[in-house]
Amino acid sequence: MHAHAIQGEQVDLPVRIRDAAVASAMFAVPAEGAQAVIAYSGLDVAEPLPGRAVCSLAFVRYADGDLGPYHEFAVAFLVRPPGSAPPSGTLGRLRTIAGGGMAGVGAFIHWLPVNQEFTLEAGRTIWGFPKELADIPMDLSGRVKRCAVRFGGRTAIEVAVRPGAPIPSGSGTPSVEAYSCLDGVTRRTPWTLTPSDVRMRPGGAKVVLGDHPVAEELRGLGLDRARALSTSTVGHLMMTFEAAEEVRG
Amino acid sequence: MRTALVTGAARGLGALAARRLAAAAWDVVAVDADAAGLAATALRSPNMHVRTCDVTDPEAVADVVAMAGPVQRVVHTAMIAPVAPALEQPLDEVERVLRTDVLGTVHVVRATLPGMLERGRSEMIFCPVAPVPGASAGAAASAAVAAYAEALWAEHGGRGVTFRCARAGAGTPPRLVLDAIDRSLARPEGELHVRAEGGPALPGGLVSRLARRSPAGTSAPR
Repeated sequence: MHAHAIQGEQVDLPVRIRDAAVASAMFAVPAEGAQAVIAYSGLDVAEPLPGRAVCSLAFVRYADGDLGPYHEFAVAFLVRPPGSAPPSGTLGRLRTIAGGGMAGVGAFIHWLPVNQEFTLEAGRTIWGFPKELADIPMDLSGRVKRCAVRFGGRTAIEVAVRPGAPIPSGSGTPSVEAYSCLDGVTRRTPWTLTPSDVRMRPGGAKVVLGDHPVAEELRGLGLDRARALSTSTVGHLMMTFEAAEEVRG
Repeated sequence: MRTALVTGAARGLGALAARRLAAAAWDVVAVDADAAGLAATALRSPNMHVRTCDVTDPEAVADVVAMAGPVQRVVHTAMIAPVAPALEQPLDEVERVLRTDVLGTVHVVRATLPGMLERGRSEMIFCPVAPVPGASAGAAASAAVAAYAEALWAEHGGRGVTFRCARAGAGTPPRLVLDAIDRSLARPEGELHVRAEGGPALPGGLVSRLARRSPAGTSAPR
């Protein structure tokens, strides 16, 4: 199926995002705890270092794309593609890291609050993304990029990302598998990203957790005021999302 | 929910301004004379409302503002600058440029500023087209809008309405112009004129740079 009806509109696949801006932070977290958090998906966290998994927090402003304009916050974990064996030994792990942490690795999207109804329905229906409606104030124009996720005035999480050093735009388009699990169904979505105006640095994030079930999970992984492995910002990002395929364990 | 009025929202800077405000959960009233372009801007954006309106018509502008309800932010980008040799540009086209850019700005201000002054805590942002080579009427209109913004700032500034004039150089990506406006609005007591990264200095810099060009270089064919 290459088209979906969402709120009376036909959404064709692949969905294209022509302009987005992003700030994100990666954290090393205990693999055992992270595995427990995503166990419901049937997937396994990647362990680039023994006993450590990678949790990524990102906030995105979609300005021009097929799902309309909206703000989004993402909590994701790096996972091994289903059916693949864990990398054996130091060499295997290094290979994973050498690929930018992404080669042969997927991103499991654990939580994906958005602030608009159209993308809420499209994301849940088309890909099974765990979208829910929240207030997501965001500042992406200042030196420090900031975002909060709030429900009825209560803050679930706040993230600030400090500016990094400019990174030359790579040639080619990174391709990632996005995984999600909604209502007991785990899916894989081919996802491409074309970033420009990219900045990166080690550390550089501040996370403050509030009183939300996901914030509790992240607190359990030690994320409250944790030091990030790295942070990055993307001034202009184009993306495509293909149709999702069901993943059978 | 805060309401923003964005003029010139069918394309370019105005379209991106409308989409970013909609993404940030503003109630956006997107205005343009181009209905098809407006529809594209507002696609799948439930909190954006489109109003086809020509800013040269003061009554039409007043009607749009009356329907919009209290407006907290105006982003006025509905300006034109057709390229034509200065001595050959038809007079009716020169008039059309001045009517759209200068009088259009006056109409938008007269329809929105009284309510904004009354309510306070609001923002009036002008985005005149930066002078481009060979668009003399547009350049004159752009300077007039910037001067009008300065006069409004002098007369009404510091009374609850923040005025900004972002006259970015040609070729400055709209997202950088909007980033510069956002940064500037974070300091309400700051300067009227907004400088955008990646563009030439404003507003005198570009004008003097153009003035140094050869006449042949400034008169692009129509």
